Amino acid sequence: MSRLNSSDRLARLLAIIPWVASKPGVHLDEIAERFDYPREHLEADLLEVVQFVGVYPFTPDTMIEVSLDDDQVWIRYADWFARPLKLTGEQAISLLAAGKSVLAMSGEESGPLLGGLTKLGAALGVDQGLEIRLGSAPEEMVDLLRTAITEQRVVELDYYVFGRDERTHRAIEPERFFADEGKWYVSAHCRMADDERVFRVDRIVAADLTEETFERRGTQSPGSFTPRESDPRIVLEVTANASWVAQQYPNEGVVELDDGGARITLAVTAVPWLERLLVRLGSDARIIDGTEQVGENMLATTAARILERYR
Amino acid sequence: MSKLERLLNLLAALLHTSVPLTAEQLRTRIEGYPDADASFRRAFERDKDDLRTMGIPLKTQTVPGVDPPIDGYRIDPEEYAGSDPQLDPDELAALHLASNLVRFEGVSGDQALARLGGVVGEQEVATVAALPSDDNLGPLFEAVRSKHSVTFRYNDTDRELDPYKLSFLRGHWYLIGYDHVRNDERQFRVDRIDGRVEVGAAATTERPASTDERIESWELGDEEPIVARILVDADQAGWAKHYLGRDAVVQSHDDGSAEFDLVVRNREAFRSFVLTFLDHAELLAPADLRDELISWLEEFAA
Repeated sequence: MSRLNSSDRLARLLAIIPWVASKPGVHLDEIAERFDYPREHLEADLLEVVQFVGVYPFTPDTMIEVSLDDDQVWIRYADWFARPLKLTGEQAISLLAAGKSVLAMSGEESGPLLGGLTKLGAALGVDQGLEIRLGSAPEEMVDLLRTAITEQRVVELDYYVFGRDERTHRAIEPERFFADEGKWYVSAHCRMADDERVFRVDRIVAADLTEETFERRGTQSPGSFTPRESDPRIVLEVTANASWVAQQYPNEGVVELDDGGARITLAVTAVPWLERLLVRLGSDARIIDGTEQVGENMLATTAARILERYR
Repeated sequence: MSKLERLLNLLAALLHTSVPLTAEQLRTRIEGYPDADASFRRAFERDKDDLRTMGIPLKTQTVPGVDPPIDGYRIDPEEYAGSDPQLDPDELAALHLASNLVRFEGVSGDQALARLGGVVGEQEVATVAALPSDDNLGPLFEAVRSKHSVTFRYNDTDRELDPYKLSFLRGHWYLIGYDHVRNDERQFRVDRIDGRVEVGAAATTERPASTDERIESWELGDEEPIVARILVDADQAGWAKHYLGRDAVVQSHDDGSAEFDLVVRNREAFRSFVLTFLDHAELLAPADLRDELISWLEEFAA
């Protein structure tokens, strides 16, 4: 840790003073480690600052007493700072949210995390007021993938590729499990693609934990969307009603139109992906450039294909 | 005289006093302020800001018995300190590990834990999730916790709400509560609140045993609710079950396909959702909704 500024030091001291006051003779090293305070600064601040803190008229009986002996510390008469500053709302949310999410992931029904969370919730006076769902995914699948990551075991995967609208079978070496935008993902080295891939856990149709182990490669977990140069590019003109497409879909350029609409350049990484978009938008969108690459009548043929189900 | 020492002494004075102290009183009692009036004012304002930024409840109050009225300052020790949860070292360590796994943007888990007894246990773990922050979350959490009403602007309308709950769902923060303008339970996306929320008087309604969260686009609407049934093919039925929830499943067929019942309050958004399945799903009922979908497709079909 580099040099702390005065706010960092103040925040830490307000936590350290009550803690040391309740633990007479605690070792300097332990304070430094617990509160992330470089030891030499800690020692100086205790002796040169805290020692001189008190209230008017600053007679010895109205000041904090600090003593240091053989690296052991005593703090007395620090009554104003007898209790630590309470958590800010955001700090409280951060701890409760982290604790609740991890508890939900582990499925533990006892243990120190539950104990700590229960005490914290009671002290803060919240019980039902905060709910955290990082993502929805079948519990068995989550367990299987987490086991595979910990034990570095290869997983055989039946995976539904949403963009291409097809079911695939492949072996993966899973490295990391994470939630984003309310969904669970696993990043892995995919043996079929011989490259790193990110899989959405709720689109895994079936998974088989094999006995084969693998060496971690340290995947980078890139964004799940990287178009290839060879993917066709189209320009989609949308009306004001559908201008949200520019925000919600990864694109390669947007020209806003005077009437609130927009011209959006999109990389077509997979055909079903574009079919979905067109059939949802209907007359609010039309392809004005690049139709020769994706077919003249994509909307018409897609709509007709879906209609078959309703005949 | 360091700024750190001045801030600690200012804090001690404000916590110690039972009556509000004026800026002048604080200036004479605390060493380290500049002599010139203007410089003192600036330094004093900065100090107050520094303390408030840390979440210290520094109150400005009128000093009693003085005419003309003059501002004074104090900190209520009860508001300053929270009640101590008395966490054991293994509980602190478990929370430390959790706060490394699931982070909250803009908040240091370690600094939060310092206020509960410090950071225990050293764990290098990969983050599994980072929750987005929002300036309104802190005040909203306080309002939920202390059962106080809040006012804010949303969709160009002023709202007054008894907040019941903050929920993080599908990647977004939602606020659920009793809306005194609509006289009903309502929910709001926290990141779509316009400006800052104001915390008002004590809430006048009680939080119900359970709240009714809606997060899907087709649930967010003011149309008369209808129950729609869809059939989803086997390949997609798996994720649809997780996405829509097992409660929504009304029938699982032997071929792996499944039927779902969903409450729809926004027909257009629901049509859009059904179409994301392309030809792997079919809207079965009600008949008028099915007909609407068919007409939509016929308009564009070749």
